[in-house]
Amino acid sequence: MKISDVIIIGGGLAGLMAAAVAANRGQNVTLLTYGSGSLPLASGAIDFLNAKAPAVAIKNLPDNHPYKKIGMKNIDAAAKFFCEVTAQDNLPYNGKLSAQIPIVTAVGTLKYSCLVPESMDASNLINKKKIYVAGVKGLKDFYASMLVDNLKKYFPAKNFEVATLDLELLGGRDITCMGAARLLTGNEQILADGLKTLNATADDAIILPPILSLEDSNVKSQLRADVIETTCLPPSPPGIRLQRAFTKYLQRAGVKVFGNSKVIRGVVEDKKITGVVVKSVAREKIFYGKKIILATGGFYSGGLIMHEFDKPAEPIFNLPVFCRAGAENWSNEKLFDDKPQGFSMTGILTDENLNPVDASGKIIYENLHVVGANLGGVDFIHERSAGGVAISSAYKAAII
Amino acid sequence: MNDMTKAIFTGDRCLSCTSCMASCPVMAAIKDYRGPKLVAPAHGRLHFSQADIETTLEFCSNCKTCDRACPSGVAVSTLNMLQRAEYYKTHKHTRAEEMLAHNERMANLIRKIPFGATFANIGVNIGKTLNVFDKLGIAGERNMPTYAATPFKNLFRRIKQSTSGKKIVLFTGCYINDNEPQVGEAFVKVMNANGYEVLIDENFNCCGSPLVSMGFLDEARAHAGNNVARILDWKKKNIPVVTPCTSCSLMLKAEYHELFGEDVMYEAAQNVYDAFEFLELLQERGEFNDNLKPLNQKFLYHVPCHLKSQAIGLPAVNILEEISGVKVQTADADCCGIAGNYGFRKDKYEISMKIGKKLFERVKQKDFDKVISDCGTCRIQIHHGTDIKPCHPIEILAEAY
Repeated sequence: MKISDVIIIGGGLAGLMAAAVAANRGQNVTLLTYGSGSLPLASGAIDFLNAKAPAVAIKNLPDNHPYKKIGMKNIDAAAKFFCEVTAQDNLPYNGKLSAQIPIVTAVGTLKYSCLVPESMDASNLINKKKIYVAGVKGLKDFYASMLVDNLKKYFPAKNFEVATLDLELLGGRDITCMGAARLLTGNEQILADGLKTLNATADDAIILPPILSLEDSNVKSQLRADVIETTCLPPSPPGIRLQRAFTKYLQRAGVKVFGNSKVIRGVVEDKKITGVVVKSVAREKIFYGKKIILATGGFYSGGLIMHEFDKPAEPIFNLPVFCRAGAENWSNEKLFDDKPQGFSMTGILTDENLNPVDASGKIIYENLHVVGANLGGVDFIHERSAGGVAISSAYKAAII
Repeated sequence: MNDMTKAIFTGDRCLSCTSCMASCPVMAAIKDYRGPKLVAPAHGRLHFSQADIETTLEFCSNCKTCDRACPSGVAVSTLNMLQRAEYYKTHKHTRAEEMLAHNERMANLIRKIPFGATFANIGVNIGKTLNVFDKLGIAGERNMPTYAATPFKNLFRRIKQSTSGKKIVLFTGCYINDNEPQVGEAFVKVMNANGYEVLIDENFNCCGSPLVSMGFLDEARAHAGNNVARILDWKKKNIPVVTPCTSCSLMLKAEYHELFGEDVMYEAAQNVYDAFEFLELLQERGEFNDNLKPLNQKFLYHVPCHLKSQAIGLPAVNILEEISGVKVQTADADCCGIAGNYGFRKDKYEISMKIGKKLFERVKQKDFDKVISDCGTCRIQIHHGTDIKPCHPIEILAEAY
């Protein structure tokens, strides 16, 4: 019987990060995933908090906030480790926790974030004379003229020019950014040549959808102008590059990553989880571990479920789930309002070590730690902390 | 078991998150395939309700990478295979499809002729030289798997085993029986060393995997009916059915039920084990024979897609690393591209080789002593793409006893 030092359940950002941190500390790690996780849907940027100076704002959060339990030292260390992992895969990230960097969205608004892929960093846009926006023939969900109309509101004095490149991507289907990036991977010259025809200078910037090669892009090095990728609708190449960078890190570190492995319950001995049961085809299989990290996400990922109103549940270990009682507190009908959504606060409450606790604050399982979007009590979307909480809670759970 | 595991009911769970599209190896290789989400759950639901054809359905290789990417449990690839069968209700199969789907029938015919295997192998080589492959629609770049002089079922009769109260039935699968009987011999040696007597059931059919992927669903259904009845007979006697072929085991354990949805199929599945899954269960119960000779070798392990889909971890790695001096490194290079008979088709050969490129490059690094893989056609593809001949992990374990 093989016993892992750590079993991590969930292959999203928090699960991958926890696995990487634990493996880096020489632990024998098993990562169990079901489905490809949240990163193919993610922008690739890591938000920590919606504030001019997130590091300061984090210090001013109330004591029951997950960030306060994780601690600033671990949050900083997590950001540093994250950047080391991505840099190893030639996917450099820019940024720091003391300020935010702008990135351009697919519709031409600016979004601010702490850690952003270098290819999306739009900090320098303000210094540029002319901004080219390159659309791609056949690419859906990217409208260069609309992007320009919106971006002009931020930079009214600048010159904009829209161009459309034919990258010979058309076949028998619609082209998404991911489809384009995959076809251009290892085959990027047509894109570099197309962008060269714009004759953009070092004083200019070229904005394009995120279609650069999924690995080792060399387009930027061939152009004098800055090349800036936008965010896009899923499947999202920047999110997938991040997923690949972590996956490669885990492979090099000898982490056992098992896909299609839906964990259905734990093997409980007193106040410990000694193993987790996977529903494999035809039968169940138990994976044994000394420590378990739960990174199965919130409602969207199935980490939390609710079959009966006001009775949210955590389906694997049946942990108590906090939620704001009362239908009137459940949702805010104005979806894009500046107020939080009550249901988003739903999640598991923990102590300082991220051990799940019951209503009286008593630890339920000593060797189980909860990370990422499973955590309750805050609206990660509203306060824009989902990425930061994911990597920093994962970091802390992995080093305890 | 409930209807939720039957493929046809899973399409409605699709959220259109596009994870399957982002992971499909065929989409990365060509521009023509519309992709798993659009073909299987989206178009598929319409397709089953009215006569309509999704023309790019032919590109799906049934590698099942999409199924594993799906967070919602949609049986994407099986939905494609069900649609493909619908398509062939009103369309004729090509001669290549007929041939490639009926490997078992072909082998049985050949075995009836004296020296049939030898002549068939010569014939295949001559046919290839004369460009017959190309005319049939089979990829002329490939060598067809050669027939072993003696099929495993005949070799098996000559193997002397001690009788034991502990018995298992070996489901050989076509490739081990007809092409690589040494894998079957290694399996018997390993099971004997663990105190099990191996039985053979000559009434088993081909699992049906090649038939399903070529759209011969009625024939696959007949194979399933027979095999499931046989497995349940062995189950009554408390004798498990074990196979070293990971595509056979996936078909018997999961795909029969996904495709045809009968309760007996799920019941039978519980009596079927992958070879290393079975050995790992012995190990967990403390019954595994770990009296193994050291082997100072490093192996590169290509994990077949159809093993990944079974969600049983990597039992072969656990077991092989019991051998002192053995180090197993996984290739981590995704699908090999051949997907059973897919890569043998002339019109799919290039796609198959494009998909396999990452694995070929990994294998060509040659930082190991041997390549291992549980799947017969994965081994064919690796050999074809790299000139390095892999073996089945059970052959390594047999060496250590």
